[in-house]
Amino acid sequence: MDASLHSLRVWLEGTTLSAWVTGPIYVWPVLETLHFLGLSLLIGTIGLFDLRLLGMAKGLPPGLLSRLIPWGMAGFALNVLTGILFFVGEPKNYVNNIAFYFKMAFVVLAGINVLIFYLTVARKVEALGPGDAAPLGAKVIGAVSLLLWVGIMSAGRLLTFYHDHGLGRLIE
Amino acid sequence: MADFLLWLEATAMSTWLRESLSPLAFPTVLTLHTVGMGFLVGTNAAVDLRVLGVVSQMPLKPMERFFPVMWFGFGVNAVSGVLLLIAYPTKAVTNPLFYAKLTVIGLAVANIRLLKKHVFGDPGLDEKQIARKGKLIAGVSLLLWAGAIAAGRFLAYTYTYLRAADWATGL
Repeated sequence: MDASLHSLRVWLEGTTLSAWVTGPIYVWPVLETLHFLGLSLLIGTIGLFDLRLLGMAKGLPPGLLSRLIPWGMAGFALNVLTGILFFVGEPKNYVNNIAFYFKMAFVVLAGINVLIFYLTVARKVEALGPGDAAPLGAKVIGAVSLLLWVGIMSAGRLLTFYHDHGLGRLIE
Repeated sequence: MADFLLWLEATAMSTWLRESLSPLAFPTVLTLHTVGMGFLVGTNAAVDLRVLGVVSQMPLKPMERFFPVMWFGFGVNAVSGVLLLIAYPTKAVTNPLFYAKLTVIGLAVANIRLLKKHVFGDPGLDEKQIARKGKLIAGVSLLLWAGAIAAGRFLAYTYTYLRAADWATGL
């Protein structure tokens, strides 16, 4: 393990916050429950918007459907917060975990995908009325977004099985 | 009961799901259960929020087209849930929380049917305010799903017996 990651781990493990997260038996499952609620809000808003771009529920104007997304962003904020608490609680399960790094990479890619959406087709999509098909570029962005979110959920769930399987596994 | 559980855990299916080193066994089933939950609960929650008045300018009727996404998520979770149960049957059936989770999910699914009937079944849906009954159904839906998720998460940490053999000795 990288020396700086190791010292980060040792430092975090000594904090009061870490002791709280791993202390009372109910804390971890409560945090997980919140993490799953946040995940559901993300899929229910961004995921459905992606599906509309791909042609589902065309009767919904994307410009109005997108107004549900702040609820998904609230879910994302909840997940960043609870995610940080998981990391602080059990840093040893994350610092040397290939699934965790995949998950973080997918989150970054999802962010870049949103940025590309805003820089390219967002205005065109915003102007679409009921029944209008999204342009091809928007469909591609929607499909990539859906795949990334499924990837984020999968990597998140799988990281339990890779607590001590670092990036070295890739080249072994 | 203990005999049945001992038999079930010894079946090839249960053993493979539980012990296989293949990532296609337990980890994949658990992953499908999470992804299915995201689509089922997420889609239902989005419809609930709209029924409760969030983005009320948006027509509600076309959201009915998202119902198959919910049923898809439910189907994935029914199948993956049965597989998880086959892998660790004793862990589930000896935990009262398992029955609470199933009950809450049963109510939540019945509630989706109420939503379909009482809210989406109204032909003048987008011409008037949503009736209080519809909002009550949507509010209850959010609470039931939050309860199902909480029960599911606590199930992983509150079991008493992992395997039938543990249970048999505990009896």
